[in-house]
Amino acid sequence: MPLTTMDSLTLSHFLLTGAVLFCLGLIGFITRRNLIIMFLCTEMMFQGVAVSLVAFSRYHLNDTGQTFVIFVLTIAAAEAALALGLVVLLFRRKRTLDALAWSQLQG
Amino acid sequence: MEQYLEYALYIGSVLGALALAVMLPRQSGGIRFLGPMLGAATLGGLWLFLSNGGLWADRDPGMSSASFIYYYLFSAIAIVSAVRVITHTRPVYAALWFVMVVLASAGLFLVLSAQFMAFAVVIIYGGAILVTYMFVLMLASQSTPDGGSSQGYDKVAKEPVLACAAGFLLLAVLLSVIFDYHRLDAARAQVDPAMTDAALIESTLGNRPLQAVKTYEYNDAGEAVEVAGVTQPNNLDPTRLANAERVGLDLFLSHPLGLELAGVILLVSLIGAIVIAKTKVPDEHLAVSG
Repeated sequence: MPLTTMDSLTLSHFLLTGAVLFCLGLIGFITRRNLIIMFLCTEMMFQGVAVSLVAFSRYHLNDTGQTFVIFVLTIAAAEAALALGLVVLLFRRKRTLDALAWSQLQG
Repeated sequence: MEQYLEYALYIGSVLGALALAVMLPRQSGGIRFLGPMLGAATLGGLWLFLSNGGLWADRDPGMSSASFIYYYLFSAIAIVSAVRVITHTRPVYAALWFVMVVLASAGLFLVLSAQFMAFAVVIIYGGAILVTYMFVLMLASQSTPDGGSSQGYDKVAKEPVLACAAGFLLLAVLLSVIFDYHRLDAARAQVDPAMTDAALIESTLGNRPLQAVKTYEYNDAGEAVEVAGVTQPNNLDPTRLANAERVGLDLFLSHPLGLELAGVILLVSLIGAIVIAKTKVPDEHLAVSG
């Protein structure tokens, strides 16, 4: 079966979903004050990128897009481990997850 | 109707920004209930425009394919869940809504016939990463002053209007590029319709080690049968490669260095996470209160 028969669903449709997920994650990262939710929003941005990459992979009939999603997942896992470790560290210090508690940093 | 699509996307972006700005948590919650209605109306209108009035009505009349429906279904679930992630005032529920985002995008991957990625995303995101987030959320939960379930800083968003304006401005720019159909038609003309899986495999993996990929072959009953010692180039039918096999071939044959680097990154982050977790920090909260 050739993979090009996607006439009614175009690449643009999937890129739209990816872009919306990315922008919603961005807005969440800016607006939320809970450190954990902020990092959850970065994961949502990763998710939007993954949707776009798989859509590109399908549209261009090239599996490299899906391979890149594997790398995105790797980086997301590494980022989650490090970021959550840092969040726990910050929480132990101030007993709060509020990002605004860290608005004034000093060495 | 094509000339209206651009305006529809811009109007959709503005309405979506308004809806989200209203929905974000704030202290005076008088008009928050307007947000979901406006958002649902925007999404519904955009979906109707894209599916019906948009571009493909004259080019492709038979649009009732199943994947078409599934795309709109899963996209709507993903977008609504994403909005709930960033508007929910209770972090645990936000994390659970993120699981919905992951599941819906796994559905989109299935629509795109990327089965391996769909399962990988569910297992890694929905399983491993989200469980880690849940652990940390539980670990870092505090009692609230009023006995409620969400902290004060979860109930008030910082700069909701400006953030929505910036985010949806970016979205509008992205959409104007994504739905540039003149450019897209030109790109579409360059995709060779005769390009099949076989041609693709031969073009990207032409010099693959035949011994490695020819160990297994599918028989007519669909089960994998080991083929011993076959090295003829045309023995393996590339059109019958499953998605996972194709991704695996691409990963190991085209990106071996990236694979090694990914392993190094995972190891470094593992060590880094252990070091961070064992760091001793002064408890400023106790120093202030006690």
